[in-house]
Amino acid sequence: MKTVAISILGTVLDKRGKRGKRWDKWRPTVSMFQHDDLMIDRLDLVFDRNSQRLADQVTEDIYHASPETKVVHHYVNFEHPWDFETVYSELLDFCRSYTFKPSREQYLTHITTGTHVAQICLYLLTEAGYLPGKLLQTSPPRKNSAGENETHSGKNQSSAGEYQIIDLDLSKYDQIASRFQKEHKEGTSYLKGGIETNNPAFNTMIEQLEKVSVRSNEPILITGPTGAGKSQLAQRVYELRKHRGIIEGNLVAVNCATLRGENAMSALFGHKKGAFTGATTDRPGLLKEADQGLLFLDEIGELGIDEQAMLLRAIEDKRFIPFGADKETSSNFQLIAGTNKDLAKYAHEGKFREDLLARIDLWEYNLPSLKERPEDIEPNIEYEIEKFASKSGQLISFNKTARDIYLSFSQSPEAKWSANFRDLNASITRLGTLADGGRITAGLVKEEIDRLKTKWKVSKQSNDNPIEMTKDLIGEARFNHLDLYDQIILAGITKVCRNSNSMAEAGRTLFNQSRTTKKSTNDSHRVRQLLEKYGVSFDELNR
Amino acid sequence: MKIIDGSQGEGGGQVFRTSLTLSMCLGEPVTITNIRAGRKKPGLLRQHLTCLKAAQEICEAKVKGATLGSTLVEFIPGKVRAGKYHFAVGSAGSTTLVFQTVYLPLLLAGSDSELLLEGGTHNGMAPSFDFIRQSFLPELEKMGVMIEAELERFGFYPAGGGAWKAYIRSTDKIVSYQNERRGELLSLTAVATSAQIPGHVVDRELRRVTDHFSPICVDLNKRLVKSVGPGNILSLQAKYEEITECVEVIGERSVSAEVVADNAADKLKTYLSSNSVIGEYLADQLLLPMALGAGGSFTTIEPSLHLKTNAEIIQAFVGTKITISKLASNSWKVLVS
Repeated sequence: MKTVAISILGTVLDKRGKRGKRWDKWRPTVSMFQHDDLMIDRLDLVFDRNSQRLADQVTEDIYHASPETKVVHHYVNFEHPWDFETVYSELLDFCRSYTFKPSREQYLTHITTGTHVAQICLYLLTEAGYLPGKLLQTSPPRKNSAGENETHSGKNQSSAGEYQIIDLDLSKYDQIASRFQKEHKEGTSYLKGGIETNNPAFNTMIEQLEKVSVRSNEPILITGPTGAGKSQLAQRVYELRKHRGIIEGNLVAVNCATLRGENAMSALFGHKKGAFTGATTDRPGLLKEADQGLLFLDEIGELGIDEQAMLLRAIEDKRFIPFGADKETSSNFQLIAGTNKDLAKYAHEGKFREDLLARIDLWEYNLPSLKERPEDIEPNIEYEIEKFASKSGQLISFNKTARDIYLSFSQSPEAKWSANFRDLNASITRLGTLADGGRITAGLVKEEIDRLKTKWKVSKQSNDNPIEMTKDLIGEARFNHLDLYDQIILAGITKVCRNSNSMAEAGRTLFNQSRTTKKSTNDSHRVRQLLEKYGVSFDELNR
Repeated sequence: MKIIDGSQGEGGGQVFRTSLTLSMCLGEPVTITNIRAGRKKPGLLRQHLTCLKAAQEICEAKVKGATLGSTLVEFIPGKVRAGKYHFAVGSAGSTTLVFQTVYLPLLLAGSDSELLLEGGTHNGMAPSFDFIRQSFLPELEKMGVMIEAELERFGFYPAGGGAWKAYIRSTDKIVSYQNERRGELLSLTAVATSAQIPGHVVDRELRRVTDHFSPICVDLNKRLVKSVGPGNILSLQAKYEEITECVEVIGERSVSAEVVADNAADKLKTYLSSNSVIGEYLADQLLLPMALGAGGSFTTIEPSLHLKTNAEIIQAFVGTKITISKLASNSWKVLVS
């Protein structure tokens, strides 16, 4: 890797006469080559044609100081060296015409020489990446400095001065980086609500979300099953951003499922007095309320098509027309959308605008269900216990056996946690409330486990989509293996089986016509045969 | 593969250079670790890299870690090739140090070599060209080593721009070196050299030197030379029958001519007041040719850290025994067997 320095010739500091005395003076461009721990393979020397003689002298002196260095001259027109615009565009042209080879060369932009304007321009060009390197700042020797010296004479006063290489990528600095790291950790922990989660996928996701929340104003889409913590997460993103001073406004959270018809438009976008019957006053609307803040639209899949169009415009242009108004209003908000639906499928079916989806899923985070994060159940139990304790003002704890039983059940396949954190929260609330003297006993836990099992069984049965239910029961892989025709039939059979207490009962329902014409009926046998065709058993379907 | 801890002894560039020289002469790969550990700027500096590259060039060595700041260098020497070489050294380096790194391997390479060295020749960071020619080469000659040195241009710090040539006559036999008696003092000489600085500076230096050694007569020489940049060096030489000792002080900005002369005179007086033959800077440089040749002995003033370090590295590499024993106050004997 070669080191290449880019320097403007200093028409004042580099110009110290032609006599030998110039070697006693600090000359910034020459000084770069007088350091025993800095080796520059090539210097691209930038100067105005009027300074050719000075450039030649400096070039020769650099040869003596550093014969290994190649000096290349570049002409620019610095007719008005104190005029920002011309200097910047001259230097920008220089950068554009320069062939950078970052894989083979590393660049140092020398910022001591030239007018202040030129130095500012070099800094800006480096920061913007037009000059893809680090800054090399040289400075004159400090007075009375006695540096380390390995010389025989003991002191060899040097006109080399000092230098510092400044990397504008702040993450390269240990001290600054560790501060970033600390803030990142704090932010991440904040997003997790202080819960020490262990699930690697979840943790990675939150770490990225922390960076995105701090750095980006773009919409964020949070998907995941009900109760997985979408609104809590949105709330924490808001608080984190507010804490870091990135936003000033309010958090406005609304569930789109509650917005229907005319009410939806006016709730979101506001209305003018008299816009419709009953509109007796102006209403600013939720978007306006979220100005300079954060708008959380949960269940965004439930938003009507008209509202979707308005919302898209509001996100893109920050402008929209309140219901019944003739003038646009504006609101600058960050959007977080939540959904437990497959929006891509919705879009495919025409129920959700594709352009809106493309706009809001720039950052998509899928919150896993509690069941998918078995290693996080324990810390979340702790968290819920503490939350309950601080709410009720009473210290709550499990005894050892109770804790083991509860934990092992909660991580077992039996525990469906179908409403995710809502289930866990409710369960702990029940345990905490029933705990005498704040002690949760094994007996209490066993009762609670029964309660949960019953609840999940009921919720299972109430699942009215037989296709989904069948998929759940026999496993997705097995189900997807079937032809659509067979899927439909099996789903129907499943529905009947689950409503029957025995195979015989299911048979009576399923074969209600044919069985009347048969002499002898063995309904359970026919059901078994039917199910064998699909490779499933009655018990499997009737779990 | 020899492994040398670069932080031992004086722990600087000398350990590094001596290791390279020995590695090339013996054809033995070396790994130097902890290079300049504990220094303000640890690892290789430009001057060390220059020596490393010169060494690499004369024997086509395979080298790992040849970068600024590197604290670990692996050096696998190939066959040393005699011939003409040109080494340009920047102002941060010194031509004489490059010379000292490569002259021994070239000497033993089977045919003659010619070196052109460009850069600093009188820069105070290493023995000057004059020291090499007047003090060092005559002693080498006693070992049967014939090297001629010829100055073309003076090069001072910081501008550099000097040049000199060294003609190295190949030999396969370095004879034993014995030097334990100075013999009679023949003359004292002062040489004040300057380029591009006011003429009164050298005059004042020489006047002051005369004052110091009065009533002994000192031969005074004023050399006003051409050079790329300004520079001044005062060199005092005590010529005995068996040795010429040479001390040098660089003139610097903000140090008066008188102080330069005082410093030089003090150094020479220290030498004159002892009976030892070999001065501080010469002592550590003689060890290498002696160890690679037929050994020998000399007396010297109090051994410097450089001398002790060089002795240790040579013993580690070659297995030659080097003993340094005290004879009297400010008189030591160095025996290379």
